[in-house]
Amino acid sequence: MSNILAIAHKELRQYFVSPMAYALIGLFAIIYGWFFIVSLNFVVRVSMQAGMGMGGPPTVNINEYMMRPLLGNTAVVMLLVLPMLTSRSYAEEKRSGTIELLLSSPLTELQIILGKFLGALALFTAMLGVTLVHVAVLFIYGEPELGPILSGYLGLWLMGASFISVGLLISSASRNQMVAGVVTFGVLLMFWVVSWMGDPSSGSTTASVLAYLSILDHFEDFSKGVIDTKHLAYYISFITFGLFLTVKSVDSERWRG
Amino acid sequence: MIEVQHVTKRYGPVTAVNDVSFRVDSGQILGFLGPNGAGKTTTMRILTGCIPATEGTAIVAGYDVFEQPVEAKRRTGYLPETPPLYTDMTVREYLTFAARINGIGSGARRERVAGAMARTSVEDVADRHCGKLSKGYRQRVGLAQAILHNPDVLILDEPTAGLDPKQIIETRELIKDLAGDHTIILSTHILPEVAQTCQSVIIINKGQVVAVDTPANLTERLGGAETIRLEVDPLGADPEPALAAVPGVTGVTVAETANGSCVLDVQSERGTDVRRELARTVVSSGWGLLELSPLRVSLEDVFLQLTTSEEPKEEDADPEPAPEPADTTDTTEDPT
Repeated sequence: MSNILAIAHKELRQYFVSPMAYALIGLFAIIYGWFFIVSLNFVVRVSMQAGMGMGGPPTVNINEYMMRPLLGNTAVVMLLVLPMLTSRSYAEEKRSGTIELLLSSPLTELQIILGKFLGALALFTAMLGVTLVHVAVLFIYGEPELGPILSGYLGLWLMGASFISVGLLISSASRNQMVAGVVTFGVLLMFWVVSWMGDPSSGSTTASVLAYLSILDHFEDFSKGVIDTKHLAYYISFITFGLFLTVKSVDSERWRG
Repeated sequence: MIEVQHVTKRYGPVTAVNDVSFRVDSGQILGFLGPNGAGKTTTMRILTGCIPATEGTAIVAGYDVFEQPVEAKRRTGYLPETPPLYTDMTVREYLTFAARINGIGSGARRERVAGAMARTSVEDVADRHCGKLSKGYRQRVGLAQAILHNPDVLILDEPTAGLDPKQIIETRELIKDLAGDHTIILSTHILPEVAQTCQSVIIINKGQVVAVDTPANLTERLGGAETIRLEVDPLGADPEPALAAVPGVTGVTVAETANGSCVLDVQSERGTDVRRELARTVVSSGWGLLELSPLRVSLEDVFLQLTTSEEPKEEDADPEPAPEPADTTDTTEDPT
């Protein structure tokens, strides 16, 4: 465990000594802030209309009208930002030869990978943490329900962790961080749009299998305030499988020298 | 301390290391010699557990590298060809991280890092970023990283590459110094380095071991006859017959003549010292004796002989075994 933490600590340090962490956190905060303002304006407009008796629902549920679409948009931003976070983790070590330090140290591959995973996850958690400022503003001036926000953030966090495990896998198979980043983005995008192949309600098996695979579909319930074990199991097995494949990938890389 | 048995490493159809076996006793320094691409680095990476071997076993500090890699790695320090430095860390941070992943507890860490920095004299750059260091400093920080956890076995891939002459001497001294309680394998291109620091030498070529011996024995074994280089001013006469008549001399060849002086290579029987006689002959003939020095077969010559194979036979599919060490000192053929 102390080895894992040593690697995680080193990863996190490296993110923060380079402009990387600040750029990612800043970018994420700005885009989230923009979405926040846009959806806030929308909610304000809708509730004004409602207040003036010009149609619309009598009371505007801030969770339903604001937080749900906001978190959904955030998921898309993560799709763009997280590949940049994980792309360097292995590719850079291989390019600079520092991987030899890790491989010749008394560490197991699993420890190295878990360390890298935790490091990236910690940075991602910080990224999400910064957005809580906006949520705090909501709580000061309004009365949103806490439950759905918490479950929504849990969903985002699990989805981010899944993205990171895919990113690590692809980075471990590449020597070039640009390539790793682009491929990660492509793969994540595929996991997102895979459910567009067909409508699962049509009863077709292919469609429902594809829908189940979609990484964003599983987030839906979380944003509604539902924590379904089905979705928890999906994300956790997704992460585990991603990390497992990373171990295999690093192992096979060693065999090939 | 290190025992390598029949280690083979293949990359697809390419055999990088072919059936290499050797052993190094505790406290010894083993020199690993070979031309580029001979398999030195591959062998070292196998020994440090960076890559697995296709076949064979390697036991380092009593632990099988493939069966108990963590235990073996705990007792091994490795300096790869390019020092594995994180460019965005300072030297101190880097060494502290290396200490941490080598299982040095937080209490002892500071002291160990300071000790390793002192031994490799990198203290003056302790707070500089690794990426901003000169090649010589990088190399030494890499070395500091390797000795940090006081491993039983040190594996150094060209530890003096890129250092200036003063640093080379210091590093050699350091390596010799470490030999007492560490077993060391070092690879190098610089042959005098091996002669000066190592107790035994392995010459490897095309993935195969072609010679294992002490540096002295290797030069001895391939030395054959002893040769003395003589430069005389014969005042127009031909010195050859007179010198050939000296007892013990088996052959005289004129290497060059210039400005009236004459350089000759005099071969003698092994074990007979003909220098006094030669000098007497020259002086008593009234010639000027300008130089007289024994020509030793250097490790360079041994190395070239062992690693240079006949070109036309190269085309065969299986790797050619190295040529038999020839009994001459002729190394004029092209080493490539």
